Amino acid sequence: MSAQIPQTLKGILDRIALWSRINSPWLVHFNSGSCNGCDIEILATLAPRWDLERLGVKLWGSPRHADVLVCTGPVTRQSRDRLFRTYEQMPSPKFVVAVGSCGITGGAFHGCYNIVGDIGDVIPVNVYVPGCPPRPEAIIDGVVQLLTQLKTGARPPEAAI
Amino acid sequence: MSAPAVPPNELKPAMQDAADLAVDFLKPWGAVQQVREGRLDLEVPAEQLPGVARMLADHSWGYLSAITGLDLTQDGKADSAEESAAPAGSDAPTPPRFRILYHFCRGATVLTVKVSAGGEHPTVPSISAIMPAAILQERELAEVFGMHVTDIPARGRLLLSEDWPENLFPLRKRNTPGQIRERISTPSVSPAAAALPEKAGRFVVPIGPQHPALKEPAHFELEVDGEIVKDVSLRLGYVHRGIEKAAENRTWIHNLYLVERICGICSHIHATAYALGVEQLAGVTAPPRAHAIRVLFAEMERIHSHLLWLGVAAHQAGFDTLFMFSWRDRETIMDLLEEVSGNRVNYSVNVLGGVKYDIDAPRSDAIRRGIDSLERRSRHYLDIVTADESFQRRTRGVGVFPTEQADALGVVGPTARASGVRRDLRVDAPYSAYKDFAVTPVVDQGCDLAARFVVRIKELFESCRLVRAILDALPAGDLRAEVPRRIPEGEVISRVEAPRGELFYYVRSTGGPMPDRVKVRTPSLANWAYVLSVAIGLKLADIPMVVVGIDPCFSCNDRMFTVRRPGGAAP
Repeated sequence: MSAQIPQTLKGILDRIALWSRINSPWLVHFNSGSCNGCDIEILATLAPRWDLERLGVKLWGSPRHADVLVCTGPVTRQSRDRLFRTYEQMPSPKFVVAVGSCGITGGAFHGCYNIVGDIGDVIPVNVYVPGCPPRPEAIIDGVVQLLTQLKTGARPPEAAI
Repeated sequence: MSAPAVPPNELKPAMQDAADLAVDFLKPWGAVQQVREGRLDLEVPAEQLPGVARMLADHSWGYLSAITGLDLTQDGKADSAEESAAPAGSDAPTPPRFRILYHFCRGATVLTVKVSAGGEHPTVPSISAIMPAAILQERELAEVFGMHVTDIPARGRLLLSEDWPENLFPLRKRNTPGQIRERISTPSVSPAAAALPEKAGRFVVPIGPQHPALKEPAHFELEVDGEIVKDVSLRLGYVHRGIEKAAENRTWIHNLYLVERICGICSHIHATAYALGVEQLAGVTAPPRAHAIRVLFAEMERIHSHLLWLGVAAHQAGFDTLFMFSWRDRETIMDLLEEVSGNRVNYSVNVLGGVKYDIDAPRSDAIRRGIDSLERRSRHYLDIVTADESFQRRTRGVGVFPTEQADALGVVGPTARASGVRRDLRVDAPYSAYKDFAVTPVVDQGCDLAARFVVRIKELFESCRLVRAILDALPAGDLRAEVPRRIPEGEVISRVEAPRGELFYYVRSTGGPMPDRVKVRTPSLANWAYVLSVAIGLKLADIPMVVVGIDPCFSCNDRMFTVRRPGGAAP
């Protein structure tokens, strides 16, 4: 299909797609072994105090409609495959924000026997948001940093599994 | 279940009565020893365990709270004489010797039935036919300790992944976390877990682990006939991290921060239960001001947790307006928690021997103002959930859980209290500052989902009242007492009332710098029995509401596991 679109038109379409992506990214949330702290803070980010939706960000249930995967927690053995599959189900281009210290290093659970690693070990991560758990402002900042990356044209690394 | 001989709500509150009763009817099995106030011990051979359980069930003496497995391999001295005859392989390490503790609770009294088991794969009989609540914990025992528990419907993996090595039992002392990780280094690609058996003409709706209705991973399979649910299968364990093992490899102080991160919603109460237990082991009493501040935070945490739950539950009912309102108001209490502790979620108030943060006059005033406004809002919420007609249709008469059943299954917390079971550790076994600040338990005889809403919202009022009472009479004095770095040998049970119900900690020390065993039984684990017993026969659309009715916390109970098919030995 794309082969039939002239190059100039494709450029315009890409710019429109990018513009809409930046202005209304849809998030899907996956908990791969978190203690719940980060998940609750992500929800709080969407609640009226911070109201992430005013920035066009929407939390959506299905990975197939989502642009950004927001992950929390270290990756447990049972959830590793699920995390990978959720990521695979998202349409390209797709981006990952890892929320919380556990997603960066394993946090308090580093060394536990059922942890296979952090989120970066399983899927490529664009933005890490540190904190145990991060404040809602930090989570918003993480998402905004991702959008800035998109605006400036920096592309995320490819999946390397 | 046999019919209770004594109506559950007429249990005598006095601890001594409960103890006397148990000593009396357990005579045939040996002498029940009172190790300290409220702790009874009885040692029986494994084969007599079902008899004891039957006797307890017939007298409806309390409920099974937790089953703790112990691996005594590394104990310097063998402390149960009978089975010490390890095969005398000269230099070979002695085979693991296990002890299994069955903790039965009635009010403030905990009866621990001890069973010793030797050999590589010791056999213990199941008591799940007598006490259905046991099934989850017995399967955990089998999986993490390699015990052979007879007569439990064992199918598939529970807590660990499907590709976990057959003969690797993580909680055995010989296996350090490093060694375990080496042996399981191939990452797992797990097949879909816990499928209902194939049968023609059945329609199975799979939900999760990633699903819009679930904020945390779990995998449900619901067999439906039209809209009506016929069978349920549940696979948890996606959040299992191995915290109980990790706790054995961290110092007493490190563990305070680890247990705080078992659950991000009720973090304070986990740390409180652990700290109270360790202080008891060390023979240290925290100063009264520290206890009061602990309880103050516990009640503020209960307010935040119940408001959070109210929002999530309303969201499941499709009532997003209420979700947004309650989460907006929840920020009031989050601000207060942050103002005092500097963190919104893991406040880290506790230290061993006391607390870190003090409440001064300006903070006290800020808390009062916040609590006043929250109380006003809560009255509004109570009006909504009791008067809004469309909301009533989703909750009134849905998921009815009769009092006798709730009592027998050992459900805890607001789930039990909404079924008319007066079970609240703050009242039954006052700990910490609850001895000075009395609590009136909120009990509702409604038994349905509406009652669960009413109970939790009314508990908000009670918590607000308590917070004010504590601020009015905050004892003066120090914030902490010294606790030694090495905790003396011993064992302790610490039970506290978390927002979701009874939280059970068993802590054992061998005198080292690290605990020998930390066992956690969280309220959600006890409450799943409710979901599984009422789900069948409900409409599919009511299932998320029923699940949320217990306020499940997967990250809490997945440090263990759960899987359950009520088709077989249904509660």
